[in-house]
Amino acid sequence: MTTLRAFTCDDLFKFNNINLDPLTETYGIPFYLQYLAHWPEYFIVSEAPGGELMGYIMGKAEGSVAREEWHGHVTALSVAPEFRRLGLAAKLMEMLEEISERKGGFFVDLFVRVSNQVAVNMYKQLGYSVYRTVIEYYSASNGEPDEDAYDMRKALSRDTERKSIIPIPHPVRPEDIE
Amino acid sequence: MAARGHVQDPNDRRLRPIYDYLDNGNNKMAIQQADKLLKKHKDLHCAKVLKAIGLQRTGKQDEAFSLAQEVATLEPTDDNSLQALTILYREMHRPELVTKLYEAAVKKVPLSEEYHSHLFMAYARVGEYKKMQQAGMALYKTVPKNPYYFWSVMSLVMQAISAQDEKLAQTMFLPLAERMVEKMVKEEKIEAEAEVQLYFMILERLGKCVEALDMVRGPLGEKLTSELQSRENKCMMMYQRLQLWPECNALSYKLLLKNPDDWQFYLSYFDSLFHLMDKSWSPPNEEEHCVEGPVQTTVAEAVKFVVDRMEEEDKKESRPLRGPYMACLELIHRLRQRGCPDEQELGDPLELMLQFFGKFGDKPCCITDLKIYLHLLPPEQHTQFKNRLGELVPLGEVGEDGFGFPGDTKALQRHLCVCQLSRVLGLQRVLDTEGKLCLITELKAHYHYGLQFGKSCLKTELQFSDPYCLMVAHVYIDLWTETGDENMLWQCLGVLEEGLSFSPSNAQFKLLLLLLFCRLGAFQPVVDLYSSLDAKHVQHDTIGYLLTRYAGSLGQFAAASQSYNFSLRFFHSNQKDTSEYIIQAYKYGAFEKIPEFIAFRTRLNQSLHFAQVRTERMLLDLYTEADITSSLEESVKAMGLCPEEDDIPWDNMRDNRDLTVLFSWDPKDRELTEEHRRLSLEEESVWLKVRSLTLRLLASLALLGHAPSSRNSDKTNENGVSAKSSTLQTLLSQLDLTLQTAAQITEKQTQYPFLGPPSSRLATALSSGSCHCQASALQLSLTLQELETTGLDDSSELQTQICNSFKSLIVQLQELLSRCKGEVLEMKDSRLMTQPSLLETLVFFVETVCVVLWVASYSASVLRPLKSSLQKKKKKKKDSSTAMPVVLSGFQEWTGSLQGIVTQALDHVKGQEASLTALKLAALTLGVGHAQTQEECGFTRAAMDKVQTSYLGSLQELGDLLRKRADSLKSLKF
Repeated sequence: MTTLRAFTCDDLFKFNNINLDPLTETYGIPFYLQYLAHWPEYFIVSEAPGGELMGYIMGKAEGSVAREEWHGHVTALSVAPEFRRLGLAAKLMEMLEEISERKGGFFVDLFVRVSNQVAVNMYKQLGYSVYRTVIEYYSASNGEPDEDAYDMRKALSRDTERKSIIPIPHPVRPEDIE
Repeated sequence: MAARGHVQDPNDRRLRPIYDYLDNGNNKMAIQQADKLLKKHKDLHCAKVLKAIGLQRTGKQDEAFSLAQEVATLEPTDDNSLQALTILYREMHRPELVTKLYEAAVKKVPLSEEYHSHLFMAYARVGEYKKMQQAGMALYKTVPKNPYYFWSVMSLVMQAISAQDEKLAQTMFLPLAERMVEKMVKEEKIEAEAEVQLYFMILERLGKCVEALDMVRGPLGEKLTSELQSRENKCMMMYQRLQLWPECNALSYKLLLKNPDDWQFYLSYFDSLFHLMDKSWSPPNEEEHCVEGPVQTTVAEAVKFVVDRMEEEDKKESRPLRGPYMACLELIHRLRQRGCPDEQELGDPLELMLQFFGKFGDKPCCITDLKIYLHLLPPEQHTQFKNRLGELVPLGEVGEDGFGFPGDTKALQRHLCVCQLSRVLGLQRVLDTEGKLCLITELKAHYHYGLQFGKSCLKTELQFSDPYCLMVAHVYIDLWTETGDENMLWQCLGVLEEGLSFSPSNAQFKLLLLLLFCRLGAFQPVVDLYSSLDAKHVQHDTIGYLLTRYAGSLGQFAAASQSYNFSLRFFHSNQKDTSEYIIQAYKYGAFEKIPEFIAFRTRLNQSLHFAQVRTERMLLDLYTEADITSSLEESVKAMGLCPEEDDIPWDNMRDNRDLTVLFSWDPKDRELTEEHRRLSLEEESVWLKVRSLTLRLLASLALLGHAPSSRNSDKTNENGVSAKSSTLQTLLSQLDLTLQTAAQITEKQTQYPFLGPPSSRLATALSSGSCHCQASALQLSLTLQELETTGLDDSSELQTQICNSFKSLIVQLQELLSRCKGEVLEMKDSRLMTQPSLLETLVFFVETVCVVLWVASYSASVLRPLKSSLQKKKKKKKDSSTAMPVVLSGFQEWTGSLQGIVTQALDHVKGQEASLTALKLAALTLGVGHAQTQEECGFTRAAMDKVQTSYLGSLQELGDLLRKRADSLKSLKF
């Protein structure tokens, strides 16, 4: 059980138990503020009865409607270690998909480290499939290319023929996406 | 104006190379190119501005500014110049100049949507709400687009929020904002969701909850679609504020049927239920209770509701939700609080918790959940509870060592949860030393056994059995704090280092290791641990204290400087960053985020940690550099320090530290309380005050020295001097008062939970005598200043007073040094013992020496001219019989003694270094008593080595600084 609510600036002071995870990036303040200013409805946090933050999802809507590329994007999704295995990530994803449905998106997409098997499998279970591989999408803190990403997608109801998720066979470079 | 289209403006083409140079960071070439262009086209203003940008970026601020002003006074209206000037002013941190720029531009081009909009944003950047309101309206009149109108409305709301006078907000700004929105509603011009949000915000702030409710429920509310459950959430908020309990109850009920896991609605459901019971509310109409549907008003209904929810979950094929079962415990808790006997209908809490454990015991959060309701069990049931839980844990056959182990990760998690619960219940604390050691053996066995389940874990994943390891560490800490046996601490470090070797991403291991090394006075290993946490940005504010509390106080000055810089860089970027997103929030209509962003910016600006690091940063620079690489006065000036200025928000200090970042399964009475938080903030604030006053006093001292001392100069000069000395006097009496408060605080001897906030340096600062010695040194500078005005004749009393102060300071320093004596690390009976407090005291000694030497340097500057004028007099009179004035001989004696003390201190440091180096830790036999494995011993040894090396590092830095100070003493002789 969980209280689901909008993420606010004050939560930045309390999210250490989630963000001290090695695969969860702590971004600069501008990054969070940009999302809060532009897509506040897409930034949701869940709180335990004791007040601890359990996890959050941060996303946005983008892409051209005319080209049927208008979609929801998952920028960050993270759950603190002690609140894992409760289906919380799935719940947060469901909410993001629902918001994207309401906005008339064609699909939801996300990037995930190729090595992050736990996450890749979870997304597959939630109905996502690998749309393409993005070469050297992630870079290490020294700026050196670090790892490839899967661009995973799930079609929404507007994409009746599920055209948006037909995989692209060849990997692409980060500069070629969008 | 020429038509734009695809035809490129020739000026754009001319300017392009300069832009490119600037973009590539080639500022010199940009300047050259601009100069070239300006020779041909004198009136190409933008080239001037771009040149100014180049100058600004190469550190020629003044030149850049005057060049920019040349263009600005012409009131340019071309895009290029305006944009370039905007960039330049922003880089100069002069956003207010941008407003002037666009004010002029809109005057000249009154129909430009772009310039009006830039003007609005320029005002937004500096928070000129009234002008924003006007600019928004002017913009709307030029181009009647809804967003512009609502920018103006929002600016009124901001005037209300920022108004000092709440009455003004309630009677003027908000009603005006309301009327502006109402006008649009009447004219049916409301278009966007953001506009409805803003309307709601206004009504809410006006306390017009009924109107807000009507609006949300009405046709305008239909626009609230982006956020999930937006209308329901807003209604709930208003029901609660209006105390409309029937509606609150009915809505909570409905929402819980939809999602029986949403905790906030259980709380509102129970709250409303009990309010209704207290009021003996009954529905006015049997058919329809209220607009939200059926209302529940009896405990029986609530019990049934909760029981039904649990049954629903029991029936489910898929994973059950925890909400209903937790709600059951919450309801018992509430009924018990009210002394209501009906709680029995829900069952025995012990059985319910066992049932909960049965369902969710294999989830890592089971402990976090149950912890909240353990108070429902009477203490005499605790052991029984633990034993019954134990029965629900499937463990394998008991082996030779007497332990049975879990067969899979689920069983492991259950076993772990029982261990955690028994710790929370205080069942581990009551064990005696032998019992605790046995517990450690058992937990270690489980830890090592459980590692097999995580063999395929990636480096970035945690091991399933990590929490066992952490708990072992906690029990070791119990033993160490109870018995003082340092071996427990060494073994604790060993077990955590071992844990980290199997689970290199475990932040809790790192945090606890970090804390323990700090408590041991060993800062060097902390640097790597902290950097491996990859803490960034806002985390510098929330957990940066773990570093900054210790680095400087342990004499690791280079590391301290670095850690202050991390934090300061973050804080300094905050101001600029947030303004940008306040503007974005206007653009995207996220109106409710605007006050939130502003509050966030304020929270960071008022951060305790921010004030601490900026004060400590400057103090550290003075201690390590002033009168070594440059004079005290130059250093103070370079920092822009002004003794009269106090920029610390004492009354609004925000404690943003995350004090529960370290996991704890300690019993409730050992947990961090609000009172602890209050006391810690109080203590840190007083310590900060001592430090900040010291800093300002030093600035004041530096400027005293600067005062021209020739006695025949005019009166204004004297006034100047006396103003400076009165600042010094004021600050000294403030310091005196603060030290009195400080003494009261340290008398309380507040002990925080081990895993909570570290104590400040205050207690050691006072007990070592460092604070008082520094204060008397600074006091002396005031007396010397008096002597400077009086002269050597007729000042024998003053001179004696000064000489007494000289002597007293020597005594105080000597005492402080004697408190540093002892072995910081030594082997006794094959045990390794530490005394980190010696190191902390030594740092205080060094800091105090710095302060005394600055005062000595000031003394020399006062006495030198007095002495030379005396010599001149003597020559004239050809009189050699007059004895040297006491103050002069006293000073000579003083500098000699100071030299002596510094030499003694250096000898002490050398001695410590020698005995540390001579210490052969390898000779230590480990693993006596409760056996550590060979591997564990290896990790313990590694930890010991780190501590030894770190001590040496600290001593080296302290020794280096002392040697430099000794050198500076030589220049004081005359």
